[in-house]
Order: sequence, then structure tokens, then C-alpha cells
Amino acid sequence: MIPPDTTSKGQTDMSTAGSPSERSQTAREGAKPAGGAEKAGHAVKLKDLNAYYGAEHAIKNVTIDFPANEVTALIGPSGSGKSTVVRCINRMHEEIPGARAEGSVKLDELDIYAQDVDVTAVRRLIGMVFQKPNPFPTMSIFDNVAAGLRLTGTKSSNLKDLVHHSLQAVGLWDEVKDRLSSPGIGLSGGQQQRLCIARTVAIEPEVILMDEPASALDPISTLKIEELIDELKERYTIVIVTHNMQQAARVANSTVFMLEGEVIEHDETNKIFTNPSDERTERYVTGKFG
Amino acid sequence: MSAITTAPRISARRRRTDKVMRGGLLAATIIALIPLILIIYYLLHKGLSAWTTSGFFTTDPTGSFFGNPGGIRSAILGSLEIIALATLISIPIGIGVGLYLTEYGKDGWFANVVRYFVDVMTGVPSIMFGLFIYIVLVTSRFGGTGFAAWKGAVAISLLMLPIVIRSAEVVLLLVPSSLREAALALGAPRWRVVFQVVLPTSASGLITGSLLAIARGMGETAPLLFTVSTAFGLTFSLGQQMNTMPFLIYTDITSPRTAIQNIAWGTALTLVVIVLLFNLFARLIASRSRMA
Amino acid sequence: MHETRHQFHESLRALEAQALDGLELVIQQLDRALESISYQDVELAGMVVADDDRIDGRYLEVHQGILSLLARQAPVAGDLRIVAALLHVIRCVERMGDQCVNIAKLVPLSGYEAPKDKDILDAIERMGRLARSQVSQAKQAFAGRNTELAQDLVRQDTEINRLNREIFRRAVEVGDNLDMREWAMFMILVARCLERIGDNTVDIAEQTVFVVTGLFREFADASTPPETARTT
Repeated sequence: MIPPDTTSKGQTDMSTAGSPSERSQTAREGAKPAGGAEKAGHAVKLKDLNAYYGAEHAIKNVTIDFPANEVTALIGPSGSGKSTVVRCINRMHEEIPGARAEGSVKLDELDIYAQDVDVTAVRRLIGMVFQKPNPFPTMSIFDNVAAGLRLTGTKSSNLKDLVHHSLQAVGLWDEVKDRLSSPGIGLSGGQQQRLCIARTVAIEPEVILMDEPASALDPISTLKIEELIDELKERYTIVIVTHNMQQAARVANSTVFMLEGEVIEHDETNKIFTNPSDERTERYVTGKFG
Repeated sequence: MSAITTAPRISARRRRTDKVMRGGLLAATIIALIPLILIIYYLLHKGLSAWTTSGFFTTDPTGSFFGNPGGIRSAILGSLEIIALATLISIPIGIGVGLYLTEYGKDGWFANVVRYFVDVMTGVPSIMFGLFIYIVLVTSRFGGTGFAAWKGAVAISLLMLPIVIRSAEVVLLLVPSSLREAALALGAPRWRVVFQVVLPTSASGLITGSLLAIARGMGETAPLLFTVSTAFGLTFSLGQQMNTMPFLIYTDITSPRTAIQNIAWGTALTLVVIVLLFNLFARLIASRSRMA
Repeated sequence: MHETRHQFHESLRALEAQALDGLELVIQQLDRALESISYQDVELAGMVVADDDRIDGRYLEVHQGILSLLARQAPVAGDLRIVAALLHVIRCVERMGDQCVNIAKLVPLSGYEAPKDKDILDAIERMGRLARSQVSQAKQAFAGRNTELAQDLVRQDTEINRLNREIFRRAVEVGDNLDMREWAMFMILVARCLERIGDNTVDIAEQTVFVVTGLFREFADASTPPETARTT
């Protein structure tokens, strides 16, 4: 939850880019034209989410709103539960033996954990990109992008176009258009990760979850991925887990700081990095622990 | 701190110990190699002469003590037939069990029980499989016959099964879980993850494991003794007794007639060469997949 | 075991000490400038002008230190506010140094053995003492992150502003003696310099509040009359 505006009338809160009541974007992006590219996006809301690994209580009463078409970053030290939160959103958490989740996770009005909801359907709506790029080694670049469709048994009338668009969306098309049938693992690390993003984008999800997507990559590839995230948010709602605070600062509209399974602070990225409200957030972002 | 100009010296005693160790290990290696070399020498020495007799590969054994002993054609083909059937039985089942253990059972109690039994089976002497099939299928005259080739194939498949399962499990575990995660996160149902991602990725490893199991199965004699027995003529009917190479070696080597003994050596050489070829083939597939 | 980012926090502390020590340099300069005014000591005034190099040097050092910290350590949150505030503070130090030089330069101009009006001189000396205490208090407030002390500077500054207006009035009424009038004009200029020094200390007070609260509030000063200033 974004806390209510606490600045009183006479004060200029220099820590936010515009007036506190404006819908927030990070200062880097500049102003969007009024009534301009506002896509009807899809929001994810977590309410009182608790997750367990056997007896271990990993996430405690987490309530977060992920606004549509925005990038929200989850930061926090190792073991704070950020990856677990994200895996509960697309129910990947269930793949771990002994893991369970309780509470409400909603994609718009759909309760993801409802009894009659098919978990594979949820995962087609909520895509995921992992820390280590994982293209399928036995498949070509083309097949990798198309894998999402083949693995879900979805028939597509124009597979080639879809693959083309997906590769373009991630900025890979020009680099690979002449070798679509060569193996996916023949690409560099940064390219592989973009390939994995293309694979996710090809199934046309509404939300994209990213679990430390750039931490295994070199700095230039990292920056390219961040550029990509900035472009992708036009069409998707993005949640990114990162242990690199500078990355969260660069990329996210709002940031959630987690510690030991709890949400400590959730606010505009600007505020978190110039004037956080909680002492623990201040100590974490300034590097006094973590 | 002054600049470094020389490296520290190793004491004479250490150098001596080093030499002694190296010498010892070299001696052990040579001792291990000697029997192997002798085997190869004997095989070649005795077997090649059989190979060069006319009709060795093209005629069947005549079964007569005197006169022309014939060739070993029916034995070669019989072995290949039986092994083919055994493969057909054990490989799919074995890979299936491997898949169950890695994808579904994982660390559950039942999976662990299965693993324990598989381990036990690898230690069971091959003669036990022969005896088991003998009691269950042969003496009961199951299917209307006593000894039969298919019953031998079943015995061999039981022998191959634990090898296939073990190697399959190892190979399947080598498939990074990140690939399974990626497929699941795309919304794939578990069975598609297995068939479209896990199996293709582990394919070469599974083939290698299977080939090694086949190579092992080809050389087993004991199970065949009690299940297939033997025949002289060429037959393709799996419901009857059939000639096999191991069996041929077993019977011919004790013959007082040298010509027949030589046939045994020739058969042994043939068997070793076929097994070698299987092994080489397995290696080729493994290295090609590594280079890809 | 050191806290994490020990090096960085040490560097930040050292930088802050360097910047605040600049205020000590300002106090020294101010003392000497005022003394040269009271006794019309041209030599002392010359020393003040020459010594401004030290303050300028200090400005460059701290400025470079800030750039280096920003480039290499990427400070955020509280640390970032400190660094941003130090940029302001060192600028104030440099300006205050310049004002001391301006005062000193007025000494030879105001003439040797010029007749002085006692009241005006008293007021100047009072302003000087007040300015000095304000600089000292600004340093204390920032170093101690003391917002109350910072707020109090505003009160002191209104006194300086009042003295400034008083000196102006007295100068206008100083009488017909030409030399006296000329000297009084120069005193008006001196008062103006002291008043500017006071404003700079208020700026430092604002930065103190910014560092502590993350909010920037303009206190009432000569450029922002109380009616339009946004206060608590």
C-alpha cells in the first residue's frame, strides 16, 4: 500500500518529482502527455499473504498492490522473502515439496488461489523470467520463442509472425534474424536472457515477474535488459526482484522493502531512495547492513 | 620487502617420496593391465584362426562331434534377436521408472523404496534371474513350451532393468531444474514438461545408458542356460529354443576336439567385438552431444 | 568487525568535518575584518583579503570530495541528503568568506583617521558579534543535526536585520560633516555585508533541517519576508 500523503500544506517535499497527488512515475521518465498512452493494464493485489516451507514461516501477512503497467521492485537482504512472494504470484511456489501459501492473490478480480482455478492457466497469464537464463538447449532460437505455445498445446495460425514480433519486442530480431534455426544456447548470456523474455512475451501474458533477471549478466547486458523493462511496461505489469539497489532505483516506479518475510516499506522509488520513512529501510539502502 | 628472485626449494626427501609414489602407482597400473593384455592376446590368437575358416559367419553349427562343426551364424542372430526383445522390454520400462523417480516420486517414501530395490537388483547374480524365469515360466510350461527364446529375453531384460533405471535416473537428474521451472512457468502441464523438455534434453544420456545396458546383456550366459537352452539351426521363432553366443561358448569350450574349441574362441572374439562396437557407439553419441 | 561501507562513511564524516571547519575559517576572517574596521587597521584588512585564498581552496577541496563521493559511492537516502547539503554549506562558506573580504576592502577606502560616529560603530560591533555567534551556532546546529538550534538562528537573524536597518537610519541622520557622512556610507556597506553573512547562516540552518527531515523549508530571511515565507 502506498502510504497516504503526509506532507502538510506549507512544505515542499523535495523528495518527490512532482506534486504528491500526481500518479507517480520516476523522475527519469519525464512527464507523460495527459490522457496519452494509458493502456488498460492489469493489476495484481496481494492481501495477507502467508507462505510456508514446511514449518518455516517464510512470508508474513504481506499486502502489496502492484499497479497496472508499472514496474514495482522488491528489495531486501537475502532470505527476506522477496523471491518467495513473487513465486506465490504465479503459484510456482507449489512446485517445491512441502511449500504452501495462504491468503489472497488477485489478478484484477480473479482470485488465483481459488479452488476451481487451473494453475497452468494462471501461469499463462503471469509469465516469469529467471535469474539464470534458461533457454531450452535442444531447441533452436525459433523453437525457443515458440516453446511457450507448444508446451501449452496452443495452436497458432501464424507462428512465424508471433516469433518475429516477440523477438522484435525484446530487441533481438536484428541480431538473430539470420540464424533462427541455430541452437538457443549458442547466444551470449545477455542475448539468452532476452530470448527467455521473448519466450515469455510470446504467450502474451498480462503480468511479467522477474526474479533477479540481470544478476547473472555483464553490466552492458544489464543495462539493455533495464531498457527493455522500461519499454515492456507499456504493455505489461512488471514485478522485479533485485538485490541490486541501484537497479531498483533506475528501473522501478515504486519499491517494496522486505525484511525477514515482512513488508517494511512500500513507496515511490524516489522517496525510498531520498527520504525513506522507516529507519530499517534507511539503513538497508545506505548499506549499513544487508 | 625485498623482491623475490628464486622459488623455494623442495627438499630431497620430498622428491624421493614423490618418485616412490609414482613408481608404485605405475606398477599397480601395469599389474592391472597384464591380465587384460593377456586376454586380448589369447582372444586374438585363438579366435582369429576360427574367424578365417570358411563359413564361420555364414553357416549354422552342425552339432556333430565329427566332421565339419559348421559356423556360428545362428548363434549370432539368436543373440541379436534375444537382446533386441530384451531391449524392447527393459528400455521403455526402465526409462519410465527413472522418470517416475526423478519427476514424481522424488524424495517420497515409495520412491526411496523403489530405489533401494533397484540397488539390490544390481547386485543380484545373473543366474538368479535365470532361475527365477526357469521356475516361473519354464517349468510351468507357460505359453505351451518349456525353453523358449522370449523367456530368455525376459530374463535378460530383468537383468538390464536396474542398469537402465540407475543410469536413466542419473541422466535425468542432470537436467537442470531451471529448465523444468522455465517450462512450468510458461504454463505447461507436467507431462508436457517431461516429454517435450526433459526427455529431449537427456536423450543422448539415456541412449548411452541404454547401449551400455545392452552391451552388458549381450554377454550374459547364466540366464540363458535355464531359459533358452539352445538349438543348432537358425530359427526366428521366439517361442522356441534358440542358439546364442554365450551358450555356444559354454558348450564348445569343453569339447575335446580342438576344432570345436577354436569355434568357442572365435565366438568369444565375435562377442567381444560386438560389445566393443556397442560401447564405441555409445561413446560416439555421448561425445557428439557434448560438442553440440 | 566494521560496519558495512565503513570506508564510505568515514569519507563522508571527513568531508563533513572539512566543510564545517570552513566555518571556523570564516569566523577567523570575520574577527579580523571587524577588528580592522574598528581600528581602521589597513594592514590587518590586507591580510584578510589575502587569506581568502584558504577559504577558496577549502571550497575546491570539499567540492571535489563531493563529486568523488557521488561518482564512486552512489549515496542514497540520508547519506545523499548530507552530500547535497554539504554542497550548499560549502557554497555558503565561500560566500561568507567573500563578504569578509568585502568588509576588509572597505577599510582603506573609508579613509585614514576618519571621524567616526560612536553609535554607528557600536551597532556595527554588535552586528559583528551577532554574525559571529550565528556562524558558530550554524556550525553547531549542522554538526549536531539540531533542528531547534537551527530554528533559533532565524530569531537571531531578525536581530541582525533590525540592526542593519538601524545603522542605515543613523547614517542618514549623521549630520553635515562630509568626512563623517562618507564614513557612514561605508558603514552601511559593511552592515550589508554582515547582514548577508547572517542570511548565509540561515541557509545552513535550512540545510540542517533538510538533512534531518528530508523536507526543505524556507525560513523567513531578508529575501523572504515572514508573510510569504512558509514556516511550521
